[in-house]
Amino acid sequence: MKIKKMSDIKFGMELPLFIPDTSLSAAKEFAKIVGYSGGGRFENHSQARAQGLPGALLPGIMSMGYLTRVIHEWAPSGTIQHIDTIFRAPILADHKHIISAVVTDIDEENSVIVLDLSIKNLKAETRVFGTATISIPKF
Amino acid sequence: MVDVEKLRSDYLNLEFDRKGFVINAENSAAVARAYGETRLEFVDPFDSNFQACLPILASLVSGRQLPIDFPSLGGISMDGGKAVTSIEPVRCGIELTGKTHLNDIYAKSGRTGRMIFLVSRIELYNASGKHLASADSRQVIRENPE
Repeated sequence: MKIKKMSDIKFGMELPLFIPDTSLSAAKEFAKIVGYSGGGRFENHSQARAQGLPGALLPGIMSMGYLTRVIHEWAPSGTIQHIDTIFRAPILADHKHIISAVVTDIDEENSVIVLDLSIKNLKAETRVFGTATISIPKF
Repeated sequence: MVDVEKLRSDYLNLEFDRKGFVINAENSAAVARAYGETRLEFVDPFDSNFQACLPILASLVSGRQLPIDFPSLGGISMDGGKAVTSIEPVRCGIELTGKTHLNDIYAKSGRTGRMIFLVSRIELYNASGKHLASADSRQVIRENPE
């Protein structure tokens, strides 16, 4: 269900689950665009392991990107006023992850809602979590 | 152990860096497309409401990470997270001024010791001095045991 106005939103409502592309090729491409490439940690599992990492990672801001995408798809007329992402643990490239989000606050007067966000791996370990404040049209 | 309260009183909310930025429209659109954004205002530089996507704002880096006289805390530094506050759309191709300060310093203790969190905030202003957005970068340092 797409959200168009405040009355479409209920406290505790969950956004549709989303599986982001966490492939090494996606991480590598993203790192190249934002200028993070060259060090190997987002591009090559062996090079990342040589740096003491468990494998190649997704850039942190790529996680933020996927979270904003999920919000924008759910609420096409909403505007993200604030998004905060906590990098609790690295997101490993080539490992499947699931994004979930839930409405945790509704401010009818100001037409603003708050979402709790998380990105978990298939062991249900939270890798990234955060919150977003979104303004939604009243009518 | 680092005296967090002293760090807070000595360094919070003091501007320690000022840097100019111009966000490239094609680059911002490419970032947005790479995470699958579909809204035209983020992916199409010719859209009348085209603006920088939030992750590109989070990627901006100040000239200095910390104030020049900030004490070394030892330990390993990690990227603990990013946040963006959008006040008005940030247009690409315009001159922006980023003013950076430490917005928060705090500690959390766990089984493996204490972690110090340093939150630096870049506030982005346009040429007429209007505050458009802020981007926070949270650096986590695991304190060396004494």
